[in-house]
Formats: sequence, C-alpha cells, structure tokens
Amino acid sequence: MLFSSIPFLYYFLPAFLILYFVAPKCLKNTVLLTGSLFFYAWGEPKIVLIMIASILVGYVSGLLIEAFSHKKVGKYIMILSVLIQVGCLVYYKYMDFFIGNINNVFGTGIPLLKIALPIGISFYTFQILSYTVDVYRGEKAQKNPINLATYIAMFPQLIAGPIVRYKDVAPQLPVKGAAILQLIDGKWNKKVHLEGRSASVEDIACGIRRFVLGLGKKILLANQLGELCDVIRMTDEKTIVLYWLYALAFSLHVYFDFSGYSDMAIGLGKIFGFHFMENFNYPFISGSVTEFWRRWHISLGSWFRDYVYIPLGGNRVPKWRWFFNIFVVWMLTGFWHGAAWNFILWGLFFAILLVFEKLCFLKVITKQKVIGHIYVVVAVLISFVIFNATDLTEAGQYIGGMFGFGKLSFISAETVYYLRNYIVILLFSVVGATPLVKQLVSRLYQKPVIKNIMAIAEPLILVLLMLVMTAYLVDGSFNPFLYFRF
Amino acid sequence: MSDKNKNLISIIVMSVFLFGTGFICWFHGEQEYSLAERRYLKTMPAITWENVVSGRFMSDFESYTQDQFPARDTFRSIKSGVALFAFGKKDNNDLYLADGYINKLEYPYRQESAEHAIKVFSSVYDKYLEDTDCKVYYALIPDKGYYMAEANGYPAMDYAAMEQDFINGMENMTYIDLFDVMSLEDFYKTDTHWRQEKITDVAAVIASAMGKELKAEYELCKIEVPFYGVYHGQLSLPVAGEELFYLNNEELDGCYVYDYTNMREIEIYDLEKAQGADPYEIYLSGPLSLITIENPNADTDAELVVFRDSFGSSIAPLWVESYSKITLIDIRYLYSGMVGNYVAFENQDVLFLYSTMVLNNSETIK
Repeated sequence: MLFSSIPFLYYFLPAFLILYFVAPKCLKNTVLLTGSLFFYAWGEPKIVLIMIASILVGYVSGLLIEAFSHKKVGKYIMILSVLIQVGCLVYYKYMDFFIGNINNVFGTGIPLLKIALPIGISFYTFQILSYTVDVYRGEKAQKNPINLATYIAMFPQLIAGPIVRYKDVAPQLPVKGAAILQLIDGKWNKKVHLEGRSASVEDIACGIRRFVLGLGKKILLANQLGELCDVIRMTDEKTIVLYWLYALAFSLHVYFDFSGYSDMAIGLGKIFGFHFMENFNYPFISGSVTEFWRRWHISLGSWFRDYVYIPLGGNRVPKWRWFFNIFVVWMLTGFWHGAAWNFILWGLFFAILLVFEKLCFLKVITKQKVIGHIYVVVAVLISFVIFNATDLTEAGQYIGGMFGFGKLSFISAETVYYLRNYIVILLFSVVGATPLVKQLVSRLYQKPVIKNIMAIAEPLILVLLMLVMTAYLVDGSFNPFLYFRF
Repeated sequence: MSDKNKNLISIIVMSVFLFGTGFICWFHGEQEYSLAERRYLKTMPAITWENVVSGRFMSDFESYTQDQFPARDTFRSIKSGVALFAFGKKDNNDLYLADGYINKLEYPYRQESAEHAIKVFSSVYDKYLEDTDCKVYYALIPDKGYYMAEANGYPAMDYAAMEQDFINGMENMTYIDLFDVMSLEDFYKTDTHWRQEKITDVAAVIASAMGKELKAEYELCKIEVPFYGVYHGQLSLPVAGEELFYLNNEELDGCYVYDYTNMREIEIYDLEKAQGADPYEIYLSGPLSLITIENPNADTDAELVVFRDSFGSSIAPLWVESYSKITLIDIRYLYSGMVGNYVAFENQDVLFLYSTMVLNNSETIK
C-alpha cells in the first residue's frame, strides 16, 4: 500500500488510528504490528511470510548472540544470521542479475528465476542486520518478539525507510505507562514501563504537519516531475536542452519522491511517539559530493559507514586501503539501489568523485564555493541519468546528449513546450529543494501577529493541501513509487 | 495563542477532515456511470481467496476507490484548475483550453499508425474494388489541432507528412483535400467533432470531387438541451455548454435508414439521443458498424459507400440528395474482410473519410 493512495489515506489510516489510540497501552505495539503486517500484505499477500520468517531468524539470533556473547559461538551465530539475511536478499533481489551475467560471460543458458522482489526487502533486511550486529556489539537483545517485529515491520518506515537503527529506536519500543506481566522467580509480577515512547500533543501535531508536507512533495511535485521524465523519454525529438531538462527533472523527482516518503514516515512515526532520524537535509545546496552524501539518504549512508566502512578500517588505514574501502562501500551502495550495472556504475561514479575530492579537489571547492555548488549540481544530475538508465548504452546516450554528442539540435519547439508546461513546477521544486522556504517561514513565525494568524490558518492550509492532493489522486492513476524496487 | 492550543486546533481540524472523509468513503453508495467521462466506473471487486492472494483485489480496490470517491467530478475540477492555473500547466491530461476551444494534444505524428490504416484501406481496395467500376476517393478530416495547436504554442503533429504518406500509399484512389476548406469554427468548442451546420461547404467539396452538385436547402433545427462535448467532462472545467443543431428537410424525412448491427429501422436524426450521455449520437444513432440510407426521391440512382468514423455520421445526410443509397461502414466495429458479405461492389462511388485523429491512433481499424 502506498501512503499516497486513497486506500491508505481514507480507508487504512483512519481505521488504524482509531484502533491504535483506542487500544490499551499494553496492546499498542500488537496493534501497530498487526496493522503493519496488513499494510505489507496488502501489496505482497504471499511474500509477507518471507518477512515474518526473516524477523523470526533475527529474533532467535539476537537471543542466542546475547546468550553466547562472551564465547566464540556468539560470533558464529551472528555471522550465520547475517549470512541468512544477506542470502535471502541476494536470492530475491540479485539472483537473476548474477545468472544473467554468468550467461552473458560464459554463454550458458541458465534460466532466470524471475522471482518477484519483495517490497522493502532492502530496508527491512538492513534493519535486521543492524539489530543482529548491535546485539553482538553489546546492545541488549529484545526479549519481546512483538517489540522486535514492530521495530522491523512498522509500516511508517517499512517500505522506504528511513533505515532505523535498533540501538536508536530500542528505548522507544515500549509504550510509556504500559503494564506488562513478567515471570520473576516463578511468580507473575505486573510491571509498568516507566520509560518508553509517548506521543505528546506537540508530537502528534508536528507529525501531522510533516506527513502532509511529505505527501505534498510526493503528489504535487515528485509525481509531476515523473510525468515530465516519462514524456521526455518517449519523445523522438531530443535536444541538448531536453536532455538537461530530463536530468534536472529526474534528479528533483527522486529527491521529492524519496524525501517526501521519508517525511511521511517521520511524521507518522511522531504520531505514534517514535522519533526517527532525519533522512534528507537539503542535499542540493551542498558544496561538495562529500557534503551531498551527508545530506542525502542519511540513514543509508550512516548504515554503510557504521556496518561496512568502519569495520573495513575506515580512513585509519594506508591510503590505498582507504580508497579501496571507499570503492567497496560505494559499489555496495549502488548495488543496494538495484540489481543492474547502472546502479553499480552510479555508486562507483560517486566513489571516484569522493576520492578525487579527498586527494585534492575538496581544498579548491572549499575556497571557491560557487564552483563547488555548480560542480555538485552537474555531478548529481549526471549521476541520476546513470541511475535511471535502462542500461549502460542508454546512460551513455543520455549523458552524451547533455554534452551535444550525436548531432542534436540545441533546442526545439517541442522542448520549449515542455519547458513552458512544467516551468512553474520546476521553479517550485528548485526553490523547495533549498532551505529558503523553511527559513522564510521561521522568520515569519518570529512575529507574534503572524504566529497568531498562522495558528488559525495553518490547519486550514493543511486541509486545503489535503483536498488538492486528494483531487490529484482521484484524477490520476499515475502514482508509481520509485523506491519500491529497492 | 499558546503552542499547545495551536497544536490542538491542528489535530482537531485534521482529525475531523481525515475521519470525516474516511467515513464518507467507507459508507457512501456506488455510482455506476460517469457522465462527465462517458464511461462505467469501477465497482467493488469481489473478495475471493484467489483475488486476494493474487493481489488483484488490492489493485482493483485502488481503482474502485479512485472511481467511487465522493464528489469525484468536483475533485477532478479542482485538480484541473490547480494544474492549469496554480501550476501554470499548459495542458491537463493532454487537454488544453485555447481561444475558448478545448482540444486534446495529438502529437507526434505516428507514421506506423497511418501506415496501418493505409494497409487496411488498400486491402479493402484490392479485395473488393480493384476489378470493379467503382470510383474510389479518400479524404482526411483535419482535427482541431491543425487549426489551433501551433497558433497557441502547442505541439502539433506533422499533418503534411501524414497527408503525403496517404498520397503515396493510396495511389489507386483519388485524394480530396479538406485542409484548406475547413476552419476552427467548423468544430464544437467542447467536442472532437465538426458541426453539421458548418460543413455544408465541406460536403459540397467532397460531392463535387465525386462529380455531384449539392443544391438542397435545409431547415436549421436546434436541440433544446445544451451540448457538452466529450472534452468538457474530461477537462472538467466550468466551460459553457454549446448549441447543437441539425439540418433537416423533407427529402431527409423521406429517407429509409436501416441499422444492420441491430437489425432495425432508425431515423436520420435520433432526437432521443440528445438527452443521453453523448448528444452527438443524434446523427445516425452514433457508432454503428453498418447503416444504409435509402432515398426514394434522389435525383439519380447512384450509390455511395462510405468507409468512415464518427465524423461521417453528421456529413453523410448532406449527400442524400445525390444518391439513392448511401452505405456507411465503420471498420472499427466491422472487420474489413467481412464487408463483402454485406455490400456488393459494382459501380458505386466509394469514399474513405477519416479524421486525422483516428488515423493517428488507427489500432482500432481492422
């Protein structure tokens, strides 16, 4: 189920909110888990069993790792658990990629498995890995299977992140004030959680605002930009300007699609009392690619940093090994996004830029900030052309087109039409990709008069936005969600 | 106002909206047909084990919730207005409004589509017409885009290329050029079609090319209900309804019209259709695969066979005075290979009359 769909907004969400808030505190996680499994099964009725099996493996592994934490067997269990989870991910997501490449290289005819990719498998697998490794590193294992399953399967962040780390969310899993029965010395004792999550009025209001804002990013900007990309891809009359327009539109489309979904996840989390990490922080204003990746898909970047880059030695190794670590991490980052060579190339493209920056270029662009910003924007636009290409040939064709290869016209009447048709959306998107609006609103809120007016106007604006977004949903069937395939 | 009160107001207002809309969605009744979009709406899919496990129920349910959303047409109007006026889009779902006319982007020229049409028309010629005394003509009816797209900054298909492809591909038939005969005013503002009362000159040009002279005079009859064309509901903006006219005279009243699809006699103008979903269907009862119009008072005993799309319904009555029998064949609904079962081609005038819009999307021609 997509957040940006009528079944979610007006069927699932109202019904779920009633059940969740009516349920006693001790049952809230059970309701959240049940609702999450329903939410997942709505899109993947059969494959929900795979996720449940993965959660069970994670749960048992966690308990065993903790039980054998001071022995070597704990390490072996952790490795086995990681291999099972990664193996499951490889089987469902990457097997056909490997088979296809083996067939291409060796001329074999191994049939492709053509298995449907379970939605969100990359996200929940990484969360289970995070849990397993965190427990191995000393975090307490989760004794309550419902709490662990809730952490992994929680619908706000299940299919598109942010990739919530277990150690970050563990203190929020119990509901503050929830009474539970514990078996101590053969006797059942009632225990009330003094710590845990609770949703304040401020949290809920903030969560609503964040959710509506994210929904707006997705429906009003990302989907429109996606339409423009589709139109450009279909046209036969390509021009240099059109290729650049495509690169810009797709980069912004991915940003608003994904950051919009993250906003919705964070907002929904707040409504239930969770505080998830931020996933995006205006990446397009970055002055270097290094900075861009501190602002883009932060939860994924930090996951790879903590669970791959640092275990490999990070930068506290000889220079050649450091660069090797960077290449490994970025190749995996690319591969995480999709089982195709263009995703690997996309990751390696960033690895090259990062190494280049670390060698010398970072010093230049730190002093020449304008050059740094232009360089980042151009690099990111090119990278997303690679990202969205169906194959490497198409990536080459589109990037070549941006730089005038192939006897292209600079501009045409058709290109002008597409520019005019989407110019307002592009302007909104470009401005929305910077903190300008946020800064302006913050300044306005500092004036008491405006703050009071906004107290009344804000809920009306939210309702108005919901009406407009509902109108877009009712009108169109174009509402694909890009990050499903990850 | 304190932050807590402000937050409370936000929560209450949004809760009322979310739960209120949710309640209406859950419990409001179904609508079977959308008049604005001229289509049947999705109904609640059946909840069966197979449907649920395969995921078909879920995807059908999403379509159902979109189709059956309360006040759907109002929401579509809101979307149209926001897209065109707030986001400055030049078109909404490929529809645009310029000079008071609504039109759909017909772009680019799909040469393979035109080639398909040429292939079908040529096969009809080869199979039925080549060894007969029939005189064969064809004409392309330019759509509204020819007259308004480029002038208003919209991309337009390459009409010249399409025309040339037909001239090259249908060398055995005589081409009748209509591009310069017509103008934008010949069309309805909210519909794809031409206005019958404005195309007497077009009918005369075609008739003249076939060696006939049209002299009849008509009474201009007005349909009393406002006409909202097919684009009106699709664009979903508050554009005024139009006047729908038809041309009539005693000769037309005396014609015998037969619908072979439903095996029944029909009228030239079916005025009951004016109250229906598509009032343009008053002309020869709308989309029918095979119709004959017999005129006992015709000047000659000449016959005309027209391979046509919906544009043919309103122009065909204007040729009645020159033909004792007109046969209208729509090979979108009747396979062209079967035409010989119904029509004996001997020495008739044969006309292929198609809109550029249909020719650019000719998959239905078979």
